[in-house]
This record gives sequence, structure tokens and C-alpha cells, in this order.
Amino acid sequence: MILAQPATQIEPGSALNLMIILITATLTENMLLTRFLGMCPFLSISRQLKSAFGMGLAVVFVTTCTCFLNSLLYWHVLVPLEAYGVPAESLKLILFIVVIAAFVQFMEMAIERVSLGLYFSLGVFLPLITVNCAILGTSLFMINKSLAGLDALVYGFGAGLGWMIAIVLMAGIRQRLARARVPEALEGPGITLIVAGIMALAFIIFQGMIKL
Amino acid sequence: MLQVLIATGLVLAISAAFAAVLLVAERYLVNYGPCKIDINDGTRELDVRGGDNLLMTLKGSGIFVPSACGGRGTCAYCKVRILDGGGPVGPTEAPLLTPEEIESNVRISCQCKVRNDLRIEIPESLLSVREYRGKVERIRDLTHDIKELRIKLVEPEKIKFVSGQYVQLEAPAYRDNPAPVFRAYSISSPPHMDDTIELIIRLVPGGICTTWVFELLKEGDDVKLTGPFGEFHLTDADSEMIWIAGGSGMAPFWSMIRQMQHDGAARPCRYFFGAVRRRDVFFLDEMRQLEQELEWFKFLPALSGPEQGAAWDGEIGLITEVVGRHVQGDGEREGYLCGSPGMIDASIEVLKAKGVSDDRIYFDKFA
Amino acid sequence: MKQSPQEARIVERMQPGVLSRDGFLGSDRRSLGEIIDTDRSALEGLGVTQERLAARMAEALKAAEAAGGAPVKVGEHLLAEHREAMGRIPSPFPGEGVFRKGEVELTDERTGVKVLMTPLSIHMVAAHGFFQGRGSRYRTEPVLLCDVFDLGQPAK
Repeated sequence: MILAQPATQIEPGSALNLMIILITATLTENMLLTRFLGMCPFLSISRQLKSAFGMGLAVVFVTTCTCFLNSLLYWHVLVPLEAYGVPAESLKLILFIVVIAAFVQFMEMAIERVSLGLYFSLGVFLPLITVNCAILGTSLFMINKSLAGLDALVYGFGAGLGWMIAIVLMAGIRQRLARARVPEALEGPGITLIVAGIMALAFIIFQGMIKL
Repeated sequence: MLQVLIATGLVLAISAAFAAVLLVAERYLVNYGPCKIDINDGTRELDVRGGDNLLMTLKGSGIFVPSACGGRGTCAYCKVRILDGGGPVGPTEAPLLTPEEIESNVRISCQCKVRNDLRIEIPESLLSVREYRGKVERIRDLTHDIKELRIKLVEPEKIKFVSGQYVQLEAPAYRDNPAPVFRAYSISSPPHMDDTIELIIRLVPGGICTTWVFELLKEGDDVKLTGPFGEFHLTDADSEMIWIAGGSGMAPFWSMIRQMQHDGAARPCRYFFGAVRRRDVFFLDEMRQLEQELEWFKFLPALSGPEQGAAWDGEIGLITEVVGRHVQGDGEREGYLCGSPGMIDASIEVLKAKGVSDDRIYFDKFA
Repeated sequence: MKQSPQEARIVERMQPGVLSRDGFLGSDRRSLGEIIDTDRSALEGLGVTQERLAARMAEALKAAEAAGGAPVKVGEHLLAEHREAMGRIPSPFPGEGVFRKGEVELTDERTGVKVLMTPLSIHMVAAHGFFQGRGSRYRTEPVLLCDVFDLGQPAK
């Protein structure tokens, strides 16, 4: 169990640093339960464990890669160009979205070509992911925290992993909820959001662990 | 100002770069190039372009696998065995196949994309199915909800089939229907009339094809159909035949009896025609005429719900009851059925009760 | 809320001209989930399960088919008439295969109310609680259907 003081500076690039980034992204700043990003697919796809798992894997994959690509784009293209008057802060939003959309399109084609089995299990979720705000959120937070290179890669992976954990947990709970007696007015999105709130409360226990 | 131009230029440049990458990717990743399809162990070989599903690809090469849902993956009629090159079974195929089918490489051809060379196996008879263009020569009403279509074949000019087979008629896109669909109808004309196809079509409420036939199709219109399909046909035996069919189910039998008349065949045959009311009976005069000419043929129509006061001196009752009453004693018999599944089930029951064995009862499983 | 890709495919198959001329949604503009949820609440209000209702409908259909098209009594005050149609229609829900065509018209002799149903419409009630969209030929309001079959007590 890692116990670090709030906002501890640990030598960048070290394994401990990466570990902290991973745990922060996955647990203490869970994209879904702490930041409440990516709620749409979370509410609609989490009915069944199997599709939730597939969607989660797809999100992990896309977040990791796009966070890394976006960090390259920002730190190595936009920021150097600031010298020529390019406002990196303003442009990052549009450009990140372009990167994410292009990446997802490309991946869908590549996966279908390379492995049909993989395409059948997670390829169908890829078009849904483009508009998942958790993906964009990950890239934006990465900029906020000034993470680059390997740090950004691990952060992206952790964020996606945290989202996947949350949706799989939710699917498990919803499958049990199917047999519970839920008041009529709360069925569907109502009870799901209540459960999400309770899960978020539970995830607060991670808050005190680490601050990044 | 310069800043604005530079920033805009940068966004455009990056977006264009990504668009270019995607276009290149599509060119190489999605393009499956030429593929070879080997059918039935070398019986036929096709050179096709990959990328489309197998059903459409075969159709493009003149091989017509039956389909009721137009390639949407719901009817499971387009099953084909892919021996080699089919890839994993997709999530849209799996629910439509039994484990035994999956084991023996049976696939839903409209859900399989052609990505590489394939070796497939299809029923031999499908290889002689062709696409025909024809002109509607005559449409006439047989009853208040049944029409007879006579189609003169244009290209190819002749069709070779056996009585009992069916064709798939194409209903084009029209006001209620966005895309062409195919519906199966038994051929009611005899095979010796090989330049014409007759169909007996009953109006189905809300039916895509029958609405078009009844409301829009006119004499002189062009139509497209594929065929012949089906394994329903008379056997070579000599035993007595019991035919049971009502409504548009008369179609295959109307073809059979006229062909037998043409061939000079003489096989004892009783045709039980079930209807509800007097107005549902058609071809009565024609059948009586045939009975006169062919002493081995008997036509027995029966009404199950005749209106009071309707002039009717024929049988009354459920067709299966009527069959039960008339078929007596021992004797080798064969049963031929055409109609809705409910009527077929009931008819099989009564025939079996009369000693006709299961393997001597024939019906078109497509209906 | 976004539709899952599976639901979007189902709704696409329910459109007019895809599997049948008029489709399964009639002129209803509500989402598939909303149609099903609203009808489910109506059934719950009457204390009737979709399986029970569908079973009664299937019984009536079977009796009507056996009568070969002639009108037949399927209940104290219920008349059924089967109109056959050849061919099969696929279910818009994936993996369910095809269902026999042919409709049954029920007439409630007390009220004169007429109900139309098919093997597919009955199956969709049983398996999905889907009564089809308003305006569809084979939709009957669950409350009316229960009344015709003498099922359930109206709430309050």
C-alpha cells in the first residue's frame, strides 16, 4: 500500500511515479465515479456483463492510445509552435477530438482486417466510443497535470482501466437489480444513477490515498 | 490577424493529414482485392471482388441463394457451408445456427464478408437457378383476395423446372417499400409451357409484395424473378395420390395436373381443396372439366364455414374431416400437401391415421 | 439517452418496408424502450404477466387455426377467425428466426371490439412485452387485450 503525502513530488520517470499515476487514474480520480465523465454509454451499455466488459476493453484501448498520441501532439507540436503565436490552449480541444475520431476510425478498419474474432467482441463498440467524453477528458486532464511520454501513456491506461472497472461493477449490480423490487418511478435510469452515486461514495475512500 | 491565420492553418493541416491517413488506410485495409470462390469442390469457380457479404457476392456472379429478409440476417434461409476461409462465426450469425450446424461449417451467408479465397458447398440445384426478366401478360382475379399472374419470359426466354418448384418474385421499391424484396410463389403453370410462368398470389394484409401485386402491378409491366427453387415434386410411384391444398396452395397442383394431362399420365389422384366460403373457391369449372377428361382424377372441394343459403352441393366441413371421410380402406397411398403450417400439420395427422407413412407424405418446407 | 447498437439494429428492422409493409412501430414516435416500459406498467397495474396474456392469445390462435378458417368460439363471448397466409416473417429481434404468417381476428361479442394477432405478435408479447407501436395493425392496448380475455382486475 503506497502512502504518499498530498502532492508529493516523486522523481519523474521512476517506476514509483508511474505506479502513483496508475493508481490515481484508476481509483482516486476514477473517470466515471469521481469525475462523472462517460455517463452515457455507462447507463445504456451496463445492462449485461458481457457487453459491459467488451465496451470497457474498447475504452481502455482507445484511452491509452489517444492519450499518448495527444500528449505527443500537444507537447511536441503545439507547444513548440506557440513561439509562432499558435494558441495551444485554445486549439487543443478541437485537435484532440480530431485525433480521437481519426484513431477510432482507423482502429475499426485495422481490427476488422487483422482479427475478426477481436472485431466481433469489441469492434462493434468502437463507433460509440468516439463520443464518449471520458476519452477526451483523459487527454485534457493529462495536459492539466503536465504529463508527457510514458507518464501520459500510463495515465491513459489507468483512466480507461478505472472506467472499465466502474462499468463492469455497475453491470454486475444491475444484473442483480433485475430481480429486485424497484419502485416503478425509479426504474431504468433512476435507479442506475442512484447506484452510481452510491458507488461514487464508496470510491471516496480512495481519495485520501494519493494526490497527483 | 496573422495568429488567426496560422492557428486556422494548423488545424486544417492536422485535420487534412489525418483525413489522408484514413483514406490511405481505407484503400489498403478495407480493400480485400480479388478473391476466388470454389463451389462444390471445383464444380464452379468464381473470381470476385472481396468486401461484400457472401450472399450478395454470389448473387453478383449469378448464383442465387434463397433469402427472405434481403440479407439482413434475420431469416436464416441463406445458409451455406463454408469449408475454408470463412473466419470465426460472428455474433449476428451465432444465434441463428445450431451447435451441430456450426460444427459442420454451416454459415449465414449474408453475414459473412468475403475477405479471402473461399471453398464453399451449396445444394446442387442452386447452380441451375437463374435470374429471369419477364413481362406481365395477364392479371386476373380468381377470388376476392387471390389473383393469377401470367408472366411471359423475356430474358432468358425459356425456363426448365419441375411441377412443385417455386420462384422468387422481386417486388421493387415503391411507395411503402424502400428497397426491393423477394417473395416465394409456387409456379402454377405446367413445365411444358416453358416460355411462361403463372403464379397464384393471395393478398396478405400488410404484405410488402402482395400489396404491390394487388395495387400497383399492371399488365405490360416488367418483372424480375429468380428460380426454380424447391424439392417438392411428384414421385415416380404408381400409388394413389392424395393432394390437400386450399387457397393459393392450389398453385403447385394446378401445374402438376396440367402437366400430367399433357404427358398422358394416368395415376389415381384425389385432390381435396379446402376453403371457408363459396367465394373462396376458384377454377371449379376447370377442375370439373379435367375430371371429365381424366378418369383417374377426382376434385373434392369442401367448405368449412359456408354462409347460409349459399348454393353449394359439395362437401361441407374441415378439409381434414373430409379427407378422413373419403379415404377408406387399405392401399398404398402418397400424400402431397401445400398450405399454411397449421393446415399441413393437421393434414399429416389425418393421413397418418389413414395409414400413410411419414416418408410418403410430401410438402414444401419453404412455405 | 443513446441507444445501444443492438437496439438501434432492432428498431431499424421494425421500420416499414423492411420485414413487413407497415413495420412494427406504426405511427408511434416513442423509443422502443419507452413503448415497452409504458405497456409493462399498464400490465402491472392489472396484475397480469406478459407470459400469461400471451399464453391466452396463443390458445385462441391455435383453436382458430384448427377450425380451418371458419369462425369458432374460443371463450364465453369470444369469436375467432383465422385467415391463413403462406410464408414466414422474420422476427425483428435478433436470433429468433422466422414465424408463420397468417392472422386471427378475435371478436368480443359483448362489446363488438375486434382484435388482430399473429404468431409473431404473440411471441413478441411473450418474450419481450412488446405490443408494437401505436397505429400498428397488430397492436392492441394491453388493457383492452386483458379485458377481451377476462384477465386481471383494473387497479382501483
